[in-house]
Amino acid sequence: MNKNFTLLIGGIQGEGVVSTGISLMKALSRRGYYTLSERKFSSRIKGGNTHVAITIAKKEEVNSVESCYDMIMAMDQDSIHLNMHQLKPKGILLYDEDIKIDEEWTDGLRSIALPLSAIAKKHGKLFMKNTSVIGCLGKVTGFTYEVLQEMVTEAYGNKGEEVLDQNIAVLKTAFNHASTTISRASFFDSEPAQAKKKMMMIGNEAIAIGAVVAGCRFMAGYPITPASDVMENLALIFPLVGGKTVQTEDEVAAIAMTIGASHAGVRSMTATSGPGMTLMGEGLGLAGMTETPIVVVDAQRAGPSTGMPTKMEQSDLSFLYHGGHGEYAAIILSPSTLQECYEMTVDAFNLADRYQCPVIIMTDLNLSLSAKTIDEISFSEPVIDRGQLASTEILESSYDGGFTRYQLTENGISARAIPGTKGGQHQVTGLEHNELGRPSDHPENRKAMMDKRMKKTDPLKEREGIILEGKASGSTLFLTFGSLYGTLKEAWMRTGKNVDLARIGRIKPLPVKQLETLMDQYEKIIVVECNYHGQLANIINQETGQPQKVKSITRYDGKGFSIEEMMEIMDRWCQEWK
Amino acid sequence: MEMKDYGNGLNPTWCKGCGHFSILRSLQTTASRMNIPREMLAVVSGIGCSGRISGYMNAYSFHSVHGRSLPVAQGIKLANPDLIVVAAGGDGDGFAIGTSHTVHAIRRNMDITYIVMNNQVYGLTKGHVSPVSHQGFKTKTTPMGSVDMPLEPGLLALASGASFYAQGFSAQQEELIELIQNAIEHPGFSLVQVFSPCVTYNKVNTYQWFREHLKSADEVRKADPSDYLGSMQLLKETEGLCTGVIYQNRTKLSYEELHQEVKEKNLATQDLRMTEAVYQQITERFKL
Repeated sequence: MNKNFTLLIGGIQGEGVVSTGISLMKALSRRGYYTLSERKFSSRIKGGNTHVAITIAKKEEVNSVESCYDMIMAMDQDSIHLNMHQLKPKGILLYDEDIKIDEEWTDGLRSIALPLSAIAKKHGKLFMKNTSVIGCLGKVTGFTYEVLQEMVTEAYGNKGEEVLDQNIAVLKTAFNHASTTISRASFFDSEPAQAKKKMMMIGNEAIAIGAVVAGCRFMAGYPITPASDVMENLALIFPLVGGKTVQTEDEVAAIAMTIGASHAGVRSMTATSGPGMTLMGEGLGLAGMTETPIVVVDAQRAGPSTGMPTKMEQSDLSFLYHGGHGEYAAIILSPSTLQECYEMTVDAFNLADRYQCPVIIMTDLNLSLSAKTIDEISFSEPVIDRGQLASTEILESSYDGGFTRYQLTENGISARAIPGTKGGQHQVTGLEHNELGRPSDHPENRKAMMDKRMKKTDPLKEREGIILEGKASGSTLFLTFGSLYGTLKEAWMRTGKNVDLARIGRIKPLPVKQLETLMDQYEKIIVVECNYHGQLANIINQETGQPQKVKSITRYDGKGFSIEEMMEIMDRWCQEWK
Repeated sequence: MEMKDYGNGLNPTWCKGCGHFSILRSLQTTASRMNIPREMLAVVSGIGCSGRISGYMNAYSFHSVHGRSLPVAQGIKLANPDLIVVAAGGDGDGFAIGTSHTVHAIRRNMDITYIVMNNQVYGLTKGHVSPVSHQGFKTKTTPMGSVDMPLEPGLLALASGASFYAQGFSAQQEELIELIQNAIEHPGFSLVQVFSPCVTYNKVNTYQWFREHLKSADEVRKADPSDYLGSMQLLKETEGLCTGVIYQNRTKLSYEELHQEVKEKNLATQDLRMTEAVYQQITERFKL
């Protein structure tokens, strides 16, 4: 019996491929299944083919979408010839009978033609083809007709009676047709145990929820793939709690507005991807220099420039780590799972306020956009730490205009006074400044202020930031971050856990102390990442100075690693270090 | 509060005779006349000689980066609508590097005031052409004279949908104070463009030159400041060289009026604690 079942749905962009996939995932999750999807939009292909691969499991959360499919549901020709080679030997190809099929493709395969378009045209409109798909896939995955009708009603209930009636007619005919031509896939013969309450979301949504829970009430952003959902979700949620989103004229304005709002006392964020991050470099420096707490999400995609906007990469890291012109303290968090997207976002706001610096939440396209069934994130009241704020006594005791916003302190952190607070008036400037916030380029002052700002985040270097799994075997440690973690974890479990596995959750300040311990403990640390240079490996080498311990495995073709490729790499390294 | 209470005792770094002194005094005098509590006044500036203005105010001042005073100012206003927010910057800030922010701030019509301290030259970089320098203007980067057409701030503002647009002159301080007060009192975005001569790098557009060329808008105009086309015509006829309230639309709704929630809920001072009931509400969409 297979551990999981992987289904690929493909068609032309705009045919409802993704929404069909999501509807199906939701319905399956309600039945107790865990699902994880990966969208593949291929801008090269004429006609705009898009497909979504969904891995479905019964017992636990899916770590990674399989690269071999048990079933392909093709609504267009491209979906067949782009994916046929990934169909398992016993897999089934379902396709619209209107598609011209080259017999060579399907030779020796189980393939079934279905009148998807014909049913849609006969009982409704051609564009209702995706409802035909739901009817057929619903049958294959073991849904009763009633549940499917509920699904369709939920999706089209507000589109008018005629549209709903036609969709239901299409669904019914497709379901009945499938009942006589296809049998239920055996994976769905037994149902999963419905033990836990579940949720389904994408990384961007988990970040948005985390932000609201953390008390973020302001977000300024500029739309960009794959980050836009953060703003879209906050625009929906904020009215419930009293917050505000603004779609600005560009990313430069987005981060500047975020800084302004945060300066005025509200927890504020922005979200973008590589090209926007470049524009935000200016704002990061301003936040660093003015010690304004802000949270910035960078959902990485393949660069440079416009690069491959719909493909996975983790190549912004060096730029984020080294942070543009000048030097300032900043924090980079790197979630690897949906739960971490949520938790680290809550954390990010506390860190920003505590250390008064920019906090970057770095994700990647697959983590940001892949819908996944997870066990419910239950409510626990978050700790909200606004950091050091000037007390009334301090403000009252300082002479008029004498509040020292940038007071030199032992840990480098000085109390803020929020506009509107009596007696706290002060100047903030992107120029080097003295304790009062007034411009000053005296060498002594410059050095003192640089030291103050730079040392603020030093305590974090001592703190752990890497999460380990395994037996601490002592030979090889695989270290990764972002969505790659899921793939590595799956490969790791399948290869028998002969190596150890780790994900890094805080990249800046790098957990140097913990890394040094790990370097004493392991023969080799193998860093797996999606970029050309091996950017994380380089940063680790730079900060720890033991390059002989670190081996870098990279990929930069926009595909990322498959579970099988990762298993091969792990096996190879196991042999080498036996 | 007296005018001097809005100063912080620092001597501006501006050259002797710089038009910006008068703008600073006008802003401080306006604040005094309006009796704005200093902790409720936020002054945000850009970069250049003009950008220093925020640093001479006893208020919550924010000297941002080149061209970005408006986004920062809007962020402050959105966070705390009770604050009186004044942005200020030069012609480079407003009409070169920050033009887009100017246009979009006008479009949003938030209740903030933007003072452009226009000297038609980049002074702090030691004399470079500005987007509003006249054709033929010779600077270090335009040794043969500027070829590019100057932008016309008034037309740009009106075309962008400004609800308040005024022009002042550093040497006419009493008028300037009135204009700034009108601007602050206007319930939406107000732009005050001030002709503020640079005595060091602009030997063409001098105090004398402005005295000879500037006309009073009220004397020249044929229609009321609420007349859009009349105001456009005034700007065309005077080639932009007039002072006074050029255009004011009192019926256009401000951002705050259109987004009642901004007015009703002060984001900066609200209670951030989240209850389980609200959590369940916001996560409802994701539950299965």
